[in-house]
Amino acid sequence: MAAGRVPAAQTSNATLNAAINSVARLSLSSAALTFPDADPDTVPSIQASQGPITVTAKARTSPNGTVTLTIRAGDQLRSGLNTIPEANITWVATGGGFSNGTLSATTAQAVATWTGSGVHTGTQTFFFRNLWSYATGTYTLTMTYTLSAA
Amino acid sequence: MKKAVWSGAVAAAVVLLGSSSAFAQQTANASIAVTANVNAKAKLTLSVAAINFADADPDLTPVFTSAPVTVDVKARTSAGGSVTVTVLASGDLTSGTDTIPVNTLTWTAAGAGFAATGANDATTAQTLGLWTNSGNHNGSQTLSLPNLWSYKTGTYTATLNYTLTAP
Repeated sequence: MAAGRVPAAQTSNATLNAAINSVARLSLSSAALTFPDADPDTVPSIQASQGPITVTAKARTSPNGTVTLTIRAGDQLRSGLNTIPEANITWVATGGGFSNGTLSATTAQAVATWTGSGVHTGTQTFFFRNLWSYATGTYTLTMTYTLSAA
Repeated sequence: MKKAVWSGAVAAAVVLLGSSSAFAQQTANASIAVTANVNAKAKLTLSVAAINFADADPDLTPVFTSAPVTVDVKARTSAGGSVTVTVLASGDLTSGTDTIPVNTLTWTAAGAGFAATGANDATTAQTLGLWTNSGNHNGSQTLSLPNLWSYKTGTYTATLNYTLTAP
């Protein structure tokens, strides 16, 4: 540095914007659930062949925002004109925030509720009430999950 | 200097605009197809496996009467399908070469869908119960046999075969 010269100095500010938006992502370990036929006397409640379904919910929400996971049946179980009430399907859940429940086609049922952003994993094991009164057939319905991050 | 202040104001506006939409509700959906298989089944349960009529004076006991036999029917069938319980005797009541006609072994029955009265037959299965659709049905059947002076002594036996059909 030459004698008598003042060192140059410059200050510059940069504004950093990081956009953190709400995001919800839901994944299930199976896209199908099958209840095999069984004797109602020996198996009054049939567990789904797939075993526990793993549910992974990822959500970004506002601080203390509510994250909810619900499930709703599209209809009753149907086999042609024959029906079985969807409420005969129930589940037992494991995992923080998850709860047990009964399927409904009229009202979305809570599967889990959390507060704040995060990743949550749990399981649902489904059961089908096995009655002698059912007409024979192959009954189907579709269950829709909705993950909401407010 | 004026330019720098203006830039700062723009940056603040972007952050505010971003924050107004950043926490809008987001949803994600997934679905599972559910299948439940319900096949045809039939289960028939009788409360006893044998009925014995003890010897008695025909004048005092003109008719042998069993205790009621409980008949438990469980069936899964198609919608509108018929569920039937029939009884077919193996033959006449026999004791060696002596016989008592099996059609004299009659019944009375109680329970919805059960035939109130009937007589056993060894050639044609007799309908004891008839229902429509899947379900559980319970009733009772009481068997009777005339106690006649004309019978030859002996221990007479026959087997009654019950068949539950749910197509």
